[in-house]
Amino acid sequence: MTHFEIQLSVRRGRFQLDVQVDAKTWVLGIFGPSGSGKSTLLDALVGGLRPDSGRIALDGEVLFDRAAGRHTATHRRGLALVPQDPLLFPHLSVRGNLEYAPGARQRLRASHGAELLAVLGLEPLLERVPDQLSGGERQRVALGRAVLAGPRALLLDEPLASLDQPRARAILALLLELRSRFELPMVFVSHQPSEHLLLSETCLALDAGRLVAIGSPLETLRRVAPTRHSALDGLDNLLSLPVLEHDPTGGLTWLDLGGAPHRLAIPRCSAAPGDKLRVGVLAEDILLARERPTAISARNVLEARITTLEPIGEEILAQLRIGTAGLHVRLTPSAVRELGLEPGGPVIALIKSTACHRLPS
Amino acid sequence: MTLGFSPEEWRVIALSIRVALFALGIALLPALLLARWLARGHGPWRTLVSGLVLLPLVLPPVVTGYLALLAFGRQSPLGQLWHRLFGTHLSFSTSACVLAAIIVGFPLLVTGARLAFEGVDPRLETVSRSLGRGRLATLMRVTLPLSATGLASGAILFTARALGEFGATIVLAGNMPGETRQIPLAVYTLLNQPGGEPRALRLAAFSAVLSFAALLATAALSATRRRVGSSPARGVSP
Repeated sequence: MTHFEIQLSVRRGRFQLDVQVDAKTWVLGIFGPSGSGKSTLLDALVGGLRPDSGRIALDGEVLFDRAAGRHTATHRRGLALVPQDPLLFPHLSVRGNLEYAPGARQRLRASHGAELLAVLGLEPLLERVPDQLSGGERQRVALGRAVLAGPRALLLDEPLASLDQPRARAILALLLELRSRFELPMVFVSHQPSEHLLLSETCLALDAGRLVAIGSPLETLRRVAPTRHSALDGLDNLLSLPVLEHDPTGGLTWLDLGGAPHRLAIPRCSAAPGDKLRVGVLAEDILLARERPTAISARNVLEARITTLEPIGEEILAQLRIGTAGLHVRLTPSAVRELGLEPGGPVIALIKSTACHRLPS
Repeated sequence: MTLGFSPEEWRVIALSIRVALFALGIALLPALLLARWLARGHGPWRTLVSGLVLLPLVLPPVVTGYLALLAFGRQSPLGQLWHRLFGTHLSFSTSACVLAAIIVGFPLLVTGARLAFEGVDPRLETVSRSLGRGRLATLMRVTLPLSATGLASGAILFTARALGEFGATIVLAGNMPGETRQIPLAVYTLLNQPGGEPRALRLAAFSAVLSFAALLATAALSATRRRVGSSPARGVSP
């Protein structure tokens, strides 16, 4: 957890950025359209520009204070950048990139270095050069390079924006795993609401250089999104679930959703029981019903409980709990009315096994 | 192996090479720092300074040499400072040859280095610093390795220009055998001597071979730069 104290104002020509944030959080999301000031804010955090006035402190350590004339150099801030375009050092191998930061070589040799390589799937890439990597691979190397710098926090600048949908989903799943496994605070810049719903813990929204909302991602997006129709586009559910058993004749593999009877059917795969798989389900691919239907093709008929119903734009985003897993579901207000859905109430979730997409790990 | 050159002609060749390498050794660091500032700095001074640096490239070398003579001659404050420090006169000495080579070649070196630095994505430097490497470490580990081939070709062009220097040298350093007479001056002198032409031709051929080798070397370097230094394709898919 990091205590972000940011108050600054930056003037560049006709553009003016004013931000005041005081938040204790693991993942600080920064949301806003392009030109809203996201990158200027990030630039001020990393130390690339000196705001015209203000103060930046992380966990009480002052990085910048105009009035006191304090400006900590970029390399002493401990804020490791992961840019959109991963910007690997082209003259170094993957290993050279990972070992670039001071102390990174020792961290890589330590036990959690091996764990990191495994999580990011970098072991087979170590001796390659950046030219030979795909976009997703490069982004994974950039993530590993930043984590191995042993930073106070990661600065993620639209890390998914240049990737296609499945690869972006896979990197997002990795970020979730890094967050929980290595307890690294993050600043996460993205213009995709769905990404903030999944990753950010606290989310601020910028518009034309002004801070227009801050709070939980849902609160923030609800206040900002009514003007933005595509707010829910690409909203995913990302799950990491252990394999229970295979059903070869049925063509299914069953995953554990948090103890019997909660389990999820996905298309049959070869993973061994106990292996954890990453699975993505689109929020619009989940149906809700009041009663358990009979004779239905969907293989997943799950008893769930509604935790929240949040209007976003012209739609309603429901959060469900099934066993220990949480799922987002996109609904229309009409469906919510007709089914009489309300927070705390029971509901049946229907998911085709083929709508459960296994993600590359 | 003498290639048919007399001991005196070998002295001319050795002096030329010595002057060129000395000039490179002295000019390299200031040129790198200046190029770095021109490539990454801001402000109104940049345009003015970059114009001044390029000036010797467009001025007739004789004029450059004359201006340098005014600045460094025996009566000038700089010339007298030199005399007080080293007890010799700067003008009309081997040191003056080095100075002439530096002044005339400096624009090539700075421009080459500047282009090389500008070819390095500044965001790579930001990423490097965000990972905990300071400015100097970033320069050594990222900027210089990524601009090495460009820097090398700038240095080769500088050396070639120094080996061919004539106009500024004859004004600032004169044409004294063993002290300031380099290949171009020797060719010129031989051409003015009855029966000197065959020897002038041999020196001229040697000079042409050196220059052509320098051009080949820069061409080879820029080919490697395209191969190695090209930034990875910004792709979406695998």
